Amino acid sequence: MDVYLEQLPQQLVNGLTLGGLYALIAVGYAMVYGVLTMLNFAHGEIYMIGGFAGWWTLNLLTRNNEPLINTAVLIVFMIVIAMMVTACLGTVVERLAYRPLRKSPRINLLLSALGVSMFLQNAVPASQGAKPRFFFSSVLIPESIRLFHVGSMVISFMRIVVVATAFLLMALLVVMIKKTRMGKAMRATAQDREAADLMGIDTDRIIVFVFLIGSALGGAAGTLAGLLFTQVDYYFGLQAGLKGFTAAVLGGIGNVFGAMLGGIILGLLESLAVNFFPATYKDVAAFVVLILVVIFRPWGLMGKRVPEKV
Amino acid sequence: MESHAIGAEPGRNQRLLLYGVAAAVLVLAPHLMPAGYWLRIYTMTGLYVMLALGLNVVAGFAGLMDLGYAAFFGIGGYLFAILSSAQFDIHLPFPFALPLAAFATMAVGFALGSTSVRLKSDHLAIVTLAFAQVFRLLLVNLDRPINITGGVDGIYNLDPIRLLGFKLVSPVSYAYLIWICAALVIVGCFRLKRSRYGRGWEAIREDELAAEVVGVNTAVMKLKAFSAGAFIAGATGALFASFQGSVSPNNFDFPQLVTVYCMVILGGLGNVAGVVAGAILLSILPEFLREYGAFRMMSYGLILVVLMALRPQGIMGSLGFLFRAEKRPDNDEAGPLRTSTELCYRKKESGSGKRGETRGPGNQVVLEVNEVTQNFGGIVAVDHLSFHVREREILSIIGPNGAGKTTLFNLIAGIYPPPFGTIFYDGKRISGLKPHRIVRAGIARTFQSLKLFNAMTVLDNIKVALFCRTKADPLSIMLHLPLFKREENETQQKAEEALTLIGTGLTGCRFALEAASLAHADRRRIEIARALATGARLLLLDEPSAGMNPQEAEEITQFIRQLRDAYGYTIVVIEHKLDVVKSISDRVIVLDCGRKIAEGSYDEVAEDPRVVEVYLGRKRH
Repeated sequence: MDVYLEQLPQQLVNGLTLGGLYALIAVGYAMVYGVLTMLNFAHGEIYMIGGFAGWWTLNLLTRNNEPLINTAVLIVFMIVIAMMVTACLGTVVERLAYRPLRKSPRINLLLSALGVSMFLQNAVPASQGAKPRFFFSSVLIPESIRLFHVGSMVISFMRIVVVATAFLLMALLVVMIKKTRMGKAMRATAQDREAADLMGIDTDRIIVFVFLIGSALGGAAGTLAGLLFTQVDYYFGLQAGLKGFTAAVLGGIGNVFGAMLGGIILGLLESLAVNFFPATYKDVAAFVVLILVVIFRPWGLMGKRVPEKV
Repeated sequence: MESHAIGAEPGRNQRLLLYGVAAAVLVLAPHLMPAGYWLRIYTMTGLYVMLALGLNVVAGFAGLMDLGYAAFFGIGGYLFAILSSAQFDIHLPFPFALPLAAFATMAVGFALGSTSVRLKSDHLAIVTLAFAQVFRLLLVNLDRPINITGGVDGIYNLDPIRLLGFKLVSPVSYAYLIWICAALVIVGCFRLKRSRYGRGWEAIREDELAAEVVGVNTAVMKLKAFSAGAFIAGATGALFASFQGSVSPNNFDFPQLVTVYCMVILGGLGNVAGVVAGAILLSILPEFLREYGAFRMMSYGLILVVLMALRPQGIMGSLGFLFRAEKRPDNDEAGPLRTSTELCYRKKESGSGKRGETRGPGNQVVLEVNEVTQNFGGIVAVDHLSFHVREREILSIIGPNGAGKTTLFNLIAGIYPPPFGTIFYDGKRISGLKPHRIVRAGIARTFQSLKLFNAMTVLDNIKVALFCRTKADPLSIMLHLPLFKREENETQQKAEEALTLIGTGLTGCRFALEAASLAHADRRRIEIARALATGARLLLLDEPSAGMNPQEAEEITQFIRQLRDAYGYTIVVIEHKLDVVKSISDRVIVLDCGRKIAEGSYDEVAEDPRVVEVYLGRKRH
């Protein structure tokens, strides 16, 4: 027990970092579900490609393990370029794979998303080879500030970067949704697409915008994960996607704020569970929680139960 | 729907010929294949045909989004491997291990399904996806502390099959075994599709609420589809394990699921012949891409996306016109397509109503509604409403928009179980029953916003309504036992009768039209015919004349009167057209804000100051 208490602050920090990442991914699921009531299975792959885009940037801007520009600027570059790449990818996917199915049954949309996921997941090894890519954080962060010791805790500088970026991006998203004209149009579209259309909102544009933002956040999460775990490979989107998705469902799918909270809760739970579960079973536990939530509280922890009207 | 296209009812000779050719191919093919590689692919194709057909039952027939299907395949495979290997030294003989694995998988499918088929389609997808993940993680990790699954390596060195003392090890004998099983599954699927089960599932896929309201027990039927899929997947998994001689987690992962979905989509969801073709095509073609695993999965992904965008009905969908001479519906002996008021009395003898009953309403109360209340988050839609309906009465319910008329129908039909109050029909309490039970009890309804099964034919739309009056089980369907044959004949006859009843315009070749292709007025008539075919004696008609022109409205009014006068139905009708109300009702109830504000003959009600106020506003003093 003492050991456990001693480790608690460390686990909380780890959980918060993981939770921030999950939340960033979950937001993408929730936003798309909000406007299209569709599970975008391809989102995990968008995240994975975000990780690769970050690595490409890193690779371009370093020679012989020496960064060509200031490392802080480099990290910003990596994240921004990853976001741009995935934002483009997300909108292309929406245009080609989902928009033609606006009026089709839901199952068709799900299957199309499954197809996109399979395509993207295999396009990377097919074009880039299957070996993992390494982010040498030793290149990026000077030895002197790489690790901080706070009491018994050891916090890496990278962890701070990841948490700060994740929460900054989410704060920006909240401001965008709450305060801007586009955010208002988004909320209207999510509530009733037809009515929003009739009120003069170009809902097709809103949907594109949602994919753009959601994918950009997913891409940022991919690069952040690369920085944190120091490597990316082509199948790490599947697991992370499922986790983000679990988080989105926990928060009541379609609810952006719920998704953020769900992500953080999931991250914290996973980190804290390490003390009780063998590490291999923490994923099992996460998915069992997902199943139980969907069966007993399908509207999520945050979502409101809406009586269905015929 | 589509598979009817390929010779909807082939003649006896044609069918025998088809069976003969299929049998010849089955016997000869393994010997014609070059041994080794291609024989192996031939056998694997048989396994994929089964696997795809199993998924087709779940996703194609019933429209359930099952993303855990590969896990059921794996459960069957692993169970079989555990039962017939040195893993636990069980070494169960094949004839026991195979069915045991299949039934156990079905039990798992049943357990998972019973918790989740009531969920919306997305949620079912989530649960099954998570289930598949849990299964995969367990496979990889359950080698410690006790070695159950063999971890990443799986289980190998499975026992060879022993049948009647012979060891079954040669590739040719496996080819026979697996393709015989595949042939059984193919025939079973064809037969299921053309039965009450197939129609029930298709109705659920088209419109679940409408299916429930015409008497299909949607919850049980969905669970049955889910379990049947698990059964086929489990059996296929066992055969696969035996054929391969080993199992490992990679055999049952996500790409496997996408592969099988690809086969089903390529063939067309629900199209048995198409799915078989899709499975064969996708088992053989990618062999040329075998070296490039990632490219193969990429192409599968692409196939899914492109098919969904351009040809969601699959490659075989609507190829029917090649096999069937198309009849021009507007240019045949049946005359212009419209209902005639001269009802078809010729077929009356076998009819669903007893003719010659007294024309007017009787005295016996058939429906009794007591103090029924329903609110939607603070808004009281129906407020302590009580009334009764006597037998052979035509009762009209009128009132302004939002008065609670349709909600009242939903309460009687069981779509919302009334939170307060009771409803009795024929002396039996029906409030709280599921809609399909209420239909069985004898109350059928139509919808104001038409709810036909659009992709089904006119005749099949009506046949679905007979689901609740038939009881053939899967066994008698698949073996074509006398029970099934008798019920099918009755179903056909009664469905035709119900359609004939609504007029001569919808008979003959028009039975085979898709419901979606009909004009608005005809779709309304079909909904009424569907309600009649359920065998109900009390009809709840929700604005039967909505969207009709005056002549059509007049016809439908006549028709409703005929239903009572000639066939003795009791009818409750919601109507906005007051001339219609005036001409048919024995009694009128006026609702406003969920409360009954007036009741009586049309003339009494029309004079009532409260009714005038509701319709025209308060008089200024």
